[in-house]
Amino acid sequence: MTLQVTKVVGGYSQIPVLKEVTFDVQDGELVGLIGLNGAGKSTTINHIIGLLTPFKGEIKINGLTLNQDKNGYKKQIAYIPETPILYQELTLKEHLEMTMMAYDLDRDQAWEKANHLLSIFRLDNKLDWFPANFSKGMKQKVMIVCAFITDAPLFIIDEPFLGLDPLAVHDLLNLIDEQKAKGASVLMSTHVLDTAEKYCDRFVLLHDGTVKTEGTLPELRKALPDAGESLDDIYMSMTRADQHE
Amino acid sequence: MNNLYRQRLSSHLKEMFKYLRLVFNDHFVFALLIFIGGLGLAYSNGLKVLQPHLWWAKPVIVVVLLLVLQLGRLATLFQDADVVFLLPKEAEVRQYLKGARLYSEGLAFIYELFGMFVLLPFIQVTDAMPIFDLALIAVTQLLLKDSLFSLAVIRRFQVKSGWLKQAFWFKWIVPLMILLVSVYALPVLGTLLGLILAISLRVMDKRYDAVPFDWWQSISLENNRMMGVYRFFNLFTNVPMLKGVAKRRRYLDWLLNMVKVTSKNTYLYLYSRGIVRSGEFSGLYSRLTLLGMILLYFVRGTWLPIALAALFLYLIGFQLIPFYWQFDDIVFTHLYPIAEKQRVASFRRLMFSLTGITAILFLVMVFLANRSFQVGLIALVVELVEVFVMVQYYLPLRLRKKK
Repeated sequence: MTLQVTKVVGGYSQIPVLKEVTFDVQDGELVGLIGLNGAGKSTTINHIIGLLTPFKGEIKINGLTLNQDKNGYKKQIAYIPETPILYQELTLKEHLEMTMMAYDLDRDQAWEKANHLLSIFRLDNKLDWFPANFSKGMKQKVMIVCAFITDAPLFIIDEPFLGLDPLAVHDLLNLIDEQKAKGASVLMSTHVLDTAEKYCDRFVLLHDGTVKTEGTLPELRKALPDAGESLDDIYMSMTRADQHE
Repeated sequence: MNNLYRQRLSSHLKEMFKYLRLVFNDHFVFALLIFIGGLGLAYSNGLKVLQPHLWWAKPVIVVVLLLVLQLGRLATLFQDADVVFLLPKEAEVRQYLKGARLYSEGLAFIYELFGMFVLLPFIQVTDAMPIFDLALIAVTQLLLKDSLFSLAVIRRFQVKSGWLKQAFWFKWIVPLMILLVSVYALPVLGTLLGLILAISLRVMDKRYDAVPFDWWQSISLENNRMMGVYRFFNLFTNVPMLKGVAKRRRYLDWLLNMVKVTSKNTYLYLYSRGIVRSGEFSGLYSRLTLLGMILLYFVRGTWLPIALAALFLYLIGFQLIPFYWQFDDIVFTHLYPIAEKQRVASFRRLMFSLTGITAILFLVMVFLANRSFQVGLIALVVELVEVFVMVQYYLPLRLRKKK
């Protein structure tokens, strides 16, 4: 089991945003983290990648917590943030080299992979560019390439579909499939429900800092029989029900 | 809109005072007082040896007045988001600019009068002009400044005519002509010309009332101005607002390529590229090094040059330390599976290289200035010890303190 989040209570200040969040991501599985703005998706992700420390509960990646082995834990994560973040002073090529150095990758192998990814995302002729010259979509592609050259067993992808062109969205989904086939796990937060419905193996529906329901689509349908067929319907009825309470 | 400017001005002033407090801390005020005192003394001593009717006195007066004229810019305090949020308020932008002009021009007039005040003894000694003429020149100077402000306002509208946008012409050539007339021929005539210029530009500005406002231009002009202000403060203290553009600086690649690409060097790779390509820290470093070198060339003696070299070396090292946290807002620096120890080691190597280069340059200057092996040797020992202590003990101490 790759990622296991157990009864995590956490947030940015003293006031907890997450209230006993529990879910897991199995090997070779793509789990969609679904929720409204402010439901706690990013907070959950920030806890998993170790930017925040849980008040209570624990997070394990392949049985390892952050406190047990800082570097061993971090080495297992490849993260793609919602807003691309790049070093203003490094070229595209140097970003890739940074990643290779930081994750201690074999350079020849990593470059082979990188060249392949760069050509997929049509960045192969922009190796000497600075981030200032990239559009938002291109920056996002750089983030994707950097994440996918690592051999991390766990990919954390925060809202990948906004800002990417349709071709890139497909390429990204293909890459995720490839990684899954190799046994890697992927946790992806998103608002784009129809894409999530098609590609995710399982869903974790977050609302107000708690996990409302989780499971595969058929399981969700069973849990909320009156809601409707699609993930969108289920999600809408769930949030609406919550507002009436 | 008028209120908006007032609000922004008060928060702007608050920010400026915050920085001024940081700049004028105890040590610096002390140093500054000595510096100004020394400058004043040198000026008054210099005046004593001057004779009346020197051939170069008048050109100096004109050039100084022309330079002082450039001080003080229109502070519109526009912000990037204004192009969206103030767009529907375009009709009232004139009102807003009136406030901006009032404040900026008031401040600029103080600069001009102060410049005139400093120049006064020099004019008295070399030229012995009547008081009335001096007053006329001061008035001319203010009229010229007023014209420049009219022009600054016009430039912020989508004015098509090219000749009005020729900044160089209006900022340098026309004022030069008028000042030449004032100083060499008739001060009254200069004042009259200044008055005509000021009035006609104000009339021109009125005529452009219906022209659409140029938001992009105004905002970028204001950003440039603020950048200048921040860069000034950055000489003395750390300014978080300062985000320069990265420059490729390909000619320094050989330096960067000295860093071997291994996991151990991850942060050295990042830091070295950061320092070479961002303007902020490399500018600070090279400015202070250059300043120190120039100073050391002119200072003779045994202990004074050594103390100065040590002081500048410390200043440079001290200013470099915040660079350690330069990349902290980039989430990946927290995610890399690399121990903090490695990062400290990388930074230590960077700091050692930079202060080492400076130390060598200083040593060369000390030697060139004094031509004494003894002084050179002492300087070498002092600098060696200083670099070692700074990198080995002082840096870790500061890093721990921040935590």
